[in-house]
Amino acid sequence: MSPIDQRLQEALDGERDPGDLPTDLRESYALLSAAAQMLKAMPPVSVASRVMAEIRQNPAPVQSEGPARRLIRWLRGGRAVTVRLRPVWTLALAAGLATVLLLPWSDGLPTPGVAQGIAKFVGHFPGARSVEVVGSFNDWSRGALALNDDDHDGIWHADAVLPAGQHEYMFVVDGERWVPDPLADRYVDDGFGAGQQNSLLIVRPVSAQP
Amino acid sequence: MSAPRRSWLLRGKPLENRDEAPPGGVTEVVNDGAPDIEVVARVLGGDGEAFGILIRRYEPGLLRFATRMLGNPDAAADAVAESLVRAYRHLAQCRDPGRLRSWLYRITGNRCRSHLARRHSNDISLSDVPAPALADSSDTWAVLERGEQVALVERALAALPAEKREAFVLKHVEGMSYEEMAAATGARIPTLKMRVHRAREALLAALEEVVR
Repeated sequence: MSPIDQRLQEALDGERDPGDLPTDLRESYALLSAAAQMLKAMPPVSVASRVMAEIRQNPAPVQSEGPARRLIRWLRGGRAVTVRLRPVWTLALAAGLATVLLLPWSDGLPTPGVAQGIAKFVGHFPGARSVEVVGSFNDWSRGALALNDDDHDGIWHADAVLPAGQHEYMFVVDGERWVPDPLADRYVDDGFGAGQQNSLLIVRPVSAQP
Repeated sequence: MSAPRRSWLLRGKPLENRDEAPPGGVTEVVNDGAPDIEVVARVLGGDGEAFGILIRRYEPGLLRFATRMLGNPDAAADAVAESLVRAYRHLAQCRDPGRLRSWLYRITGNRCRSHLARRHSNDISLSDVPAPALADSSDTWAVLERGEQVALVERALAALPAEKREAFVLKHVEGMSYEEMAAATGARIPTLKMRVHRAREALLAALEEVVR
């Protein structure tokens, strides 16, 4: 395989008029053009009915569902609970957040089961009107888990009972801005956008806590 | 073997090149109707049936893309169906519905890569691609010639490594700009240009070997 003449590459990239190419390059241009044209034939099949049947059978939660209903459904979902360990936080947020992290935010949560733990979500979003968490643990559903900033210091927090294991998540600020947790333990490619990453939450079961 | 090449030359059309975003932003409207961003809002607002609009809009191209990537129509149909269901379930995670087309190709590309990985190879088995038909006096020359040519091109494409095959198909079959390709693959534009250039060289060498 030998390199293609740069003029041919430019013509194929639309940067040069193929009519200006020498005869031999014009033939190569036409050959590749014809090959691409042949590959454009549409497959005579459709998966539309199959996909719609799957969707109708198991409709995904969408944004129209109210936050309260989502939260109730999620909490009733028979999930395991985990405790999230985030040692990086205490180093990074040292003075400002240390006091906040010690607050008993877990009050009011269901008692975690053996394979469950309490995940603590904390983010510093000064000026935000709302912050919520969406993730693999709630089907990335908006409105299911809101963070609170009762003292209006820009530090938003929430606790949740989650299954043990790994969970991907993002913060949604003001209902429209998706941001990864800057203090997450790890990050993983989200598989959707170009180079976008989800935060990764690793939750240990309460039974494994020292 | 000069006859096939002559007929290819007669059929040749300019390759698709669309290196700038579609007019009016990046919203792609294949069929008449509401832009993607409005349809997505309807689906997220609870109108699940509206997702059928998006399926009709993008299914043909996704099936073609997956078929070229996997070399097997049945596997491609499975990959596209799984991708569309996954897209529906994670639609709220689509951060820019105006670029829905790239997002759907991204998901489908990932499914295709997973499928290829399960086969322990990034390459299409040539046994998945039909061999060129042999001449048969009972068929018309035109039909046989076309069938032979398509099979030859498919086999040449299948012989490319998956990344180069994907780059060539997105560029010259799906007609994407390099910016759209970057969004659909996660690769950088210079990387994609290099893959397209190398794919062209390999394809041209393979095709010229046949038609020379």
